[in-house]
Amino acid sequence: MDQVALTALLQTLAQGLLTGGLYALIGTGLSLIFGVMQVINFAHGDFLAIGMFITLALFRTFHLDPYFSLLVAAPFGFALGFVIQRLVLARLGDRLREGSMLATLGLGLIISNTLLLTFGAQPQSINVPYATSTFQLGGVQISIPLLIAGLGTAVAIGGLNLLLYRTELGRAIRATAQNPLGAELQGVKTGSIQAIVFGLGVAFAAIAGVLLMPLLYAFPTVGENYTTKAFIVTVLGGLGNLPGAIVGGLVLGMIESLGAFYISNNYRDAYGLIAFLLVLLLRPEGLFGRTVKRV
Amino acid sequence: MRQTLTLSLALSLSALSAAQAQGPIKIGAITSITGRFAEFGKMQLAGFKVGLDEVNRRGGVLGRRVELVIEDNASDVNKGLAAAERLVNAGVPLVLNEYSSSLVKAQAQYLARQKVPALVFSSSGDDITKPGSDYIFRLNQPATEYARAILNIFRDHKFKTMAIIAGTGAFEKSVADAAQDIAKEYGITVVEDQRYDKGLTDFRPVLNRIKAKNPDGILMVSYAEDSVTLMRQAREVGVKPRLFAGGAAGFALPEFVKDAGSAAENVVTATAWIPQLRYPGTQKLNVELKKALGGQDPSYHAAQAYAAVLVAAEAIRRAGSTDREKVKAALNTLNMQTAFGPIQFKDFNGFRNQNPLTMIAQQVQNGAFVPVYPKSVVPRPIKFER
Amino acid sequence: MTTAAPLPGTRPRALTFGNVWLSLALLAALLLYPFVFGKALNFGVATLIFAGFAMSWNVLGGWAGQLSLGHAAFVGVGAYTLTLLAMPERVPAFLGGPVAPWWGALIGMGLAALLAAVWGGLTFRLRGSYFVLSTIAVALVLRLVAINSTWTGGAEGLFMPELPTLFGLDLFDRRVEYGLAFGFVTLTLLVTHLLRRSRLGYALQAVREDEDGARALGIDPAQMKVIAFMLSAALTALGGSLYAIYLQAFEPHTLLELPLSVQIALMAIIGGRASIQGPVVGAVLLSVFGEVFRTLFASANLLIYGVLILVITLFAPDGIMGLFRRRGRKLGTAR
Repeated sequence: MDQVALTALLQTLAQGLLTGGLYALIGTGLSLIFGVMQVINFAHGDFLAIGMFITLALFRTFHLDPYFSLLVAAPFGFALGFVIQRLVLARLGDRLREGSMLATLGLGLIISNTLLLTFGAQPQSINVPYATSTFQLGGVQISIPLLIAGLGTAVAIGGLNLLLYRTELGRAIRATAQNPLGAELQGVKTGSIQAIVFGLGVAFAAIAGVLLMPLLYAFPTVGENYTTKAFIVTVLGGLGNLPGAIVGGLVLGMIESLGAFYISNNYRDAYGLIAFLLVLLLRPEGLFGRTVKRV
Repeated sequence: MRQTLTLSLALSLSALSAAQAQGPIKIGAITSITGRFAEFGKMQLAGFKVGLDEVNRRGGVLGRRVELVIEDNASDVNKGLAAAERLVNAGVPLVLNEYSSSLVKAQAQYLARQKVPALVFSSSGDDITKPGSDYIFRLNQPATEYARAILNIFRDHKFKTMAIIAGTGAFEKSVADAAQDIAKEYGITVVEDQRYDKGLTDFRPVLNRIKAKNPDGILMVSYAEDSVTLMRQAREVGVKPRLFAGGAAGFALPEFVKDAGSAAENVVTATAWIPQLRYPGTQKLNVELKKALGGQDPSYHAAQAYAAVLVAAEAIRRAGSTDREKVKAALNTLNMQTAFGPIQFKDFNGFRNQNPLTMIAQQVQNGAFVPVYPKSVVPRPIKFER
Repeated sequence: MTTAAPLPGTRPRALTFGNVWLSLALLAALLLYPFVFGKALNFGVATLIFAGFAMSWNVLGGWAGQLSLGHAAFVGVGAYTLTLLAMPERVPAFLGGPVAPWWGALIGMGLAALLAAVWGGLTFRLRGSYFVLSTIAVALVLRLVAINSTWTGGAEGLFMPELPTLFGLDLFDRRVEYGLAFGFVTLTLLVTHLLRRSRLGYALQAVREDEDGARALGIDPAQMKVIAFMLSAALTALGGSLYAIYLQAFEPHTLLELPLSVQIALMAIIGGRASIQGPVVGAVLLSVFGEVFRTLFASANLLIYGVLILVITLFAPDGIMGLFRRRGRKLGTAR
């Protein structure tokens, strides 16, 4: 392969990897929620939108650099998720499985339309000086905001990993995921754990929104597409499987990047959807899942 | 003395009441005041207001005031059809139709079947007037013209190759497909034609492909959200054609320059109307629109809405009545100059009742739009990337 | 919906609520509408079509208990099939000429049922949540295909060509369309009533209430779900064909988008999945609300949908009709 083609391949891979990292971040939040609570959060993308709009608002009002908005968006997302779980999801009782789908669907509509009423329908973006900065690595151009997003993702996921495997809280979460009744019997307050987990999931979505803001533009219905991507990622990796979600995200990013570059950009979104359908049909537990979901 | 005074007073009063008894002329209009297309609706409302003020300042039409019955379709086609029905029932002589092609198509088709003239002033999908209908008239340029303006610039500067990046929406497809046809006609090779669906827009793979082919010109057809991202990423990836060209829409909005910053420099775009045009009243129109928008810069959509009101008033004046058939006939023979441009409705190239107006092109130079095409706008020289 | 298993000897709960008289009363009211509101026929036709969509959705959503968020796909199949077959320049050559809209609609129903059979056959082996996700994905893929393929008119969509008259009636006359839409709703109500009395209906209820128990009775849950899916798809496609005639022009971006699927599902759920007339009630109420308060609540329209679905899910899972049932039970009249 000649130099130009090799560089192009590396470039495509690098971009796919970094974008995939963001997908992984979005998917991890969703997968965590499903793993512990068996809830499919249809509003996931809309929480991401909240993160974007918080960044936008802070930038516009205080000229706060988007990355500092993380300090606001992440705790806000956590609190929002916590409250939603306590007030809405916890009330569903036995109907959680299906009821949560509808409830989160409703929440998503409420969020996106509140954003519409507050910020208007037109797409808005922030213009930071480093928005188009890149740095070169052996002929490959890497976007700085995208790289920062990738690093942010790594930090967030690393942090989650530490939480889950090195702390008491983490152990309680894992116990609740594996066997809620057993955990309850062991003295774990599963109710609070679920609220914390939902809060974490939403916080992750909000963080992803903040990291995306310098790269893109915000509009009220921006969440719709990301919710779909989050589903694809979690199904690829196996619902509830966190390392799977990470790999799933990277895989999705690569599939889209490579497909768009080598085949055609027209169907770019289709590649992910088709992979999603194939996995659902052929290996529903995900590429890495262990729990069997067949009837 | 007192008698003559009383008499003249009585006469003038009765004349006044006679005129009032007729009531104002009501023209129908459907637009998206709320919902996804609300931003454009805002521009259009401003245009309507300025147009109405001007018409009424000149004494109205047929001695009567002109009013607009504005219906909001909330950016939804079903609501739009219900709104159209209300206007038809209200007996308006014609209905002004707005921005989004998916809404306009259904609305205009319905109006045509009800034999009510529909005047389209913003939506540019070719198929609205191609083949269109006897009752559908469009005063703004169709998508083909958007492409032609840019392709003309490419041809004039002897570009041999070009690439196209366009969204998969109806408008973008219209313009991009037209560009393909015109490029073939002009002998320019399209080395790359990539469409993208809206969503997480990462144009880098596409831009990489294009970078490898190194075309002379790149035509981009995108809405506001993507145009900024596209230019930013194009700079990042390091694509360097001789010229970046936008097919209006996102690229022609004032926000484009604001949000894209330095990435927007030297980007050429087709546009329907700019304040620097030399039509009578253009400067004044810009001032009036800006006032109506509370200081915000108007986009060409506002000028289009303004023109629509003027055309509607003129058609009724020519028809001498608000009878729909007479108004339709009047539209067919109408020929007027406005601050938006010359307007008449002709059949050509498969289009029916289409205003044969060409698009203008402008370029971002030092952070501001300047006209660069055609000659009639007294253009500045174009700055090239290489 | 979890309750204890029904006591032996009592009729199965759910979906027996809503008797024939209620349906007839509803139909009578709908029949009177054009005489009272003759100037708002566009609204009437659209509302009826959506009511039919919601009823069709409910065959799968209420009866089989499967939440589909991809029904716009079937609307699209119906719309595109009728339109493409009626256009002289796009109809496939082997058909020898444009196909009359009624045959076009029937073919559309068949294609929709086929799609449902294939898709359902593959996904119903999985648990509920996976099916929902798959419906979203399939509808999106279909949308991408419609947008990108030139034969379907691409992103610019299609215009309805001139259509032959139906027994001398002009299909583009709103009064005729109202009649057809009324017929559509009547059909869906009829199908639902018949389901209640049929073995298929009984089997579907069994599957919905207790899948493993149903299997013990010799019912194959997957097969039942597929049949329900096919029926639901075919009916939706029929409505889609009518919708295309009503719109006269459509683009894939707006016809096949996720929000349309969500709207259909929500109308049925808010109205009440467990009742026969629920979806119609939901569609009518939401449409009227949306139109009457269009200027008042303008952008808040969808927001209200969201709030309603949240409220219903939390406090009234059987929808609006469910509220009436509870009251009825308190009064001792309904079962």
